[in-house]
Amino acid sequence: MKLSNTTIKIINIMTQGILLIFVVVIMMGSIRGIAGNPTAEELNSPIWKEQGPFELSPERGRFALTYSVLEDQSVIFSIPVARFVTPDLGYTDGNFVSLFAPGVSYLVIPGYLVGQFFGLAQVGTYAAIGLFAIINYLLIRSISRSLGANPLASAIGGMVFLFATPAFAYGVSLYQHHISTFLILAGVYLLIRFKKRWLAMFCVWFLCALGIAVDNPNLFMMFPLGVFALMQALNIGETEKNLIVKINPKYFVAVLGVVIPIMGFMYFNHLSYGSPFQLGGTVNSVDAINEEGRPVTSEDILTPEELAQAGEFEEEDRSSVGFFEARDMVNGLYIHLLSPDRGVLYFTPVILIGVVGMFVLYKSKNKHLPLLLSIVGVNLVLYSMWGDPWGGWAFGSRYLIPSYAIMSIFIAMALTRYSRNILFLLVFAVLFVYSTAINTLGAITTSAIPPKVQAIPLEALTGKEEKYNYKRSWDFLNNNGSKSYFYQEFLKDSVPAKDFYITLVSAISTVSMMTLIGVYLTKRKTKDENKD
Amino acid sequence: MKIKIEKAKINNLTRFLEKYALTLIVLTLILVATATWYGFYQNGLGLAYNDARSHLNIGRRVVEGLKPGLAQIGSVWLPLPHLLMVPTIWNDFFWHSGLSGAIQSMGSFVITGVLVYLYLKKLGASIFARFFGVALFALNLNVLYLQSTAMTELLLIATMTAGSYYLLLWAQKENIVDLLKCSLFIMLSTLIRYDGWFLIFIATLIVAFQIFRKKGYKATEGMSIMFMSLGGLGIALWVLWNLLIFGDPLFFAFGPFSAHSQQEQLLAAGNLPTKGDILLSIKMYLYALFFNSYTLPAILGLFGGISLWFNKKININARIATLALIAPFIFNILALYLGHSVLFIQGISGDTWFNVRYGVMLAPSIAIFVAYLTDKVKPMRFVIVGLSLLVLTFAFLNQDAVTIDDARVGSSQKNVSEVSDWLADNAGDKEGFILISAASHDAIIFSSGMDMSRFIHEGTGLYWDTALGNPDHWARWIVMRTHDENDLVFREINKEAWEDHYTLVDHYPFADIYELKPDSMTNLNTEPVLKNVK
Repeated sequence: MKLSNTTIKIINIMTQGILLIFVVVIMMGSIRGIAGNPTAEELNSPIWKEQGPFELSPERGRFALTYSVLEDQSVIFSIPVARFVTPDLGYTDGNFVSLFAPGVSYLVIPGYLVGQFFGLAQVGTYAAIGLFAIINYLLIRSISRSLGANPLASAIGGMVFLFATPAFAYGVSLYQHHISTFLILAGVYLLIRFKKRWLAMFCVWFLCALGIAVDNPNLFMMFPLGVFALMQALNIGETEKNLIVKINPKYFVAVLGVVIPIMGFMYFNHLSYGSPFQLGGTVNSVDAINEEGRPVTSEDILTPEELAQAGEFEEEDRSSVGFFEARDMVNGLYIHLLSPDRGVLYFTPVILIGVVGMFVLYKSKNKHLPLLLSIVGVNLVLYSMWGDPWGGWAFGSRYLIPSYAIMSIFIAMALTRYSRNILFLLVFAVLFVYSTAINTLGAITTSAIPPKVQAIPLEALTGKEEKYNYKRSWDFLNNNGSKSYFYQEFLKDSVPAKDFYITLVSAISTVSMMTLIGVYLTKRKTKDENKD
Repeated sequence: MKIKIEKAKINNLTRFLEKYALTLIVLTLILVATATWYGFYQNGLGLAYNDARSHLNIGRRVVEGLKPGLAQIGSVWLPLPHLLMVPTIWNDFFWHSGLSGAIQSMGSFVITGVLVYLYLKKLGASIFARFFGVALFALNLNVLYLQSTAMTELLLIATMTAGSYYLLLWAQKENIVDLLKCSLFIMLSTLIRYDGWFLIFIATLIVAFQIFRKKGYKATEGMSIMFMSLGGLGIALWVLWNLLIFGDPLFFAFGPFSAHSQQEQLLAAGNLPTKGDILLSIKMYLYALFFNSYTLPAILGLFGGISLWFNKKININARIATLALIAPFIFNILALYLGHSVLFIQGISGDTWFNVRYGVMLAPSIAIFVAYLTDKVKPMRFVIVGLSLLVLTFAFLNQDAVTIDDARVGSSQKNVSEVSDWLADNAGDKEGFILISAASHDAIIFSSGMDMSRFIHEGTGLYWDTALGNPDHWARWIVMRTHDENDLVFREINKEAWEDHYTLVDHYPFADIYELKPDSMTNLNTEPVLKNVK
């Protein structure tokens, strides 16, 4: 039976719609949280902190700023809020302030407000990140399509990113990674689809600047986008005798897109730290707050000798460039790619299939490959030089989330190119299911996994085995633990956490495999038609 | 806005760049070399390596001291770097600033930059890739530091790269003169460090293999002998030198000051873990390589090398010849495995560095391979260049040079300033000789700032022999590590005379200082009266 083009289009749209609904359902079912609109005092209870959704300080630090801005109308933390934020708390001019770039905290405000309306302030805030994750899925799909990938392969690419990488665990909690990834993907999309439009380039610059306010290292991450946006101003052609360079000044004017985010960022810095040029990461940190509400710093704890030694390190760490050391790259690459506690090889091996897609694009001389590759390159190089490549207590290599997104686009290209190669599809399927199983575990349980270098000394303190990868999440699950709001609110009393986990993994794997079969069949159909 | 550029003008510019590229590179690298040397001279890091001071002292002893002469070249290190110091080392500024040794490193830096350019040109790389290769080599802070010191790395790198370059030329054109030049430069490298000895072995294999493939056994035999005659001349002369001066042709290899002897001591102390462990040897050297190259260029270089060796458009002979570029990699791993070399990496071998600078030996090879890669994957060239610059920028901003750490905080440095300052303050303006072992304390001699002729050391012949037998007749001060049999003074001194006539005036972790008691001064000689005694 031959289907008309319109019918095929309608089927495609419906399939994509169903997949999107599926993605939204899974994401919303996995968002971590507890019902309620907690006060600052309540936030300090273990139910919200260690046992609850604010298990790690990056989540607390960013939520605290959102809370403080909305509830206290101030970027300066009250003492209960400051207590909630420790140990990643800044202290300047007698005020407790945030150490984190403010972008995330402001961008999730709508989520907080909507959630608050329903008595779910924290869940709403986390759901805002989930929303960015879903938009990232859509952007990966769209970019892959623009590069020539099969629609279903593009959707699989999006699902790989969302469910088969550590991006899943960071799409259901409050971290900067999905917003940074959104800014990068949106920039890439604009550069690919609308590069000859001035307004699009203005938006690219806007996104670049906004990126810095979301996470300071985005200054480097967004750099390739800025360079490619600037290059749009140049149009090089040639005649027999001449090379003609057309320069469109409008594209230089588009750089003004940075003004609004940068002004906002500087204003925040001025309010928080007293100087528009002071970055949060360079402010002195406070280790704890005493009973009188005074900061407890290293001076109170360490001997003069220890202090002198710590002072040297403190000074080195506080310079912005000192965060990245070229010499750390060997260790950083190992941690990100190969280590059992964070490495791609253990947590998301499916992403390596993207290398095949890279070659597919290279062989087809795709002109966007340098842009995509430079984003992956900057991401990997930069965070390999980062002093803490483990990302503290974390699930997988969280700093590589933007690279997972780009690699997922490459995966869509590889699936399109080799959709008739059963062996390739089988390898992909196995790696996908494995990676999904690992990362679903991280999403619905805990991200509080120590790096190996901390787990070993920790064992000496606790006297028990301290696991340093997804096995720790597995133990959490086996103790009937899940931080999913949906599970906690609706299923906890009737379904074991493990069953919830198995259901999620099965659902994601089944839908993805059906989509993969769809890719195979679509290609076969196209081939058969060509034969006819 | 529209800009029209005539293609002819672009071609002219390209031609201009092609024509004056070498001039441009030489001038730029001279400026960079001079400015960097001055920077390290100003902050005092130029002499941070104790070995740098020892090299300078060896050169100085040839022209000044109680028994100056060529025999002072000794056997601890191969002779070429010290011979090259002779024309300038007589000058106190050149000696104490380290410039006498640094100037050859700086020259080698410039020459290697030029060789990287020429090598890439011969591989057919574009002018962009050639300039990028030079930049990648020259912007490495470890290379810049070592070219500012009196260490031997840059001189070795230059001669080895020159040898590899002429080997490539010979492989491409089969011009015998190129083969002779290759042989000459490798011969020079054999007179700098033992890495060169491995290169002559590898180069001979490459030459023999190439000739055998084309011309059979007889031609191979003849050409190989010719190649080795010149290439191995330095080794033969060195063996002869050891026989003539020390009475043992293998004195350099098994003598008391040889690397072998030091390694034996390390082995006995359990500090030679790489010996017999190939995986650890590879790991250690890879770390040294990554730290010296900032990792990313080394990884990209690997891809560049693979793309070169598997590029069928390049003559197979040329591809085989490029294998000479990785000789230092194999040599260093083998040396670690066989226990002929020692390398400490902080974090792997405790909390110290030692000899991590060996990783810099592949700097020109990496630059060539990465630059070649930019040419091979042209659409990605700006990604490769951009990422490399990102890494180098952070290395510069954080002043990240593992070689400086190796020199400052590793086992390569010992804080000798306490002893040398004591000597300068208390013996500098007084009469009398100082008995000291140069093998153990050359850095003290250098750092004291005193004339070489004030020191009686194992290279001073009769002074040394008589001072050990009757120290009170010759030495007003004795510097040694008491109770350490490795210190030649302690081992061979007349213990009775030392205990009777000397008093301990200061004690430091690195050495003790003894002074002749005032009532023993009567027999003391303060003039070099043995100058004319054979």
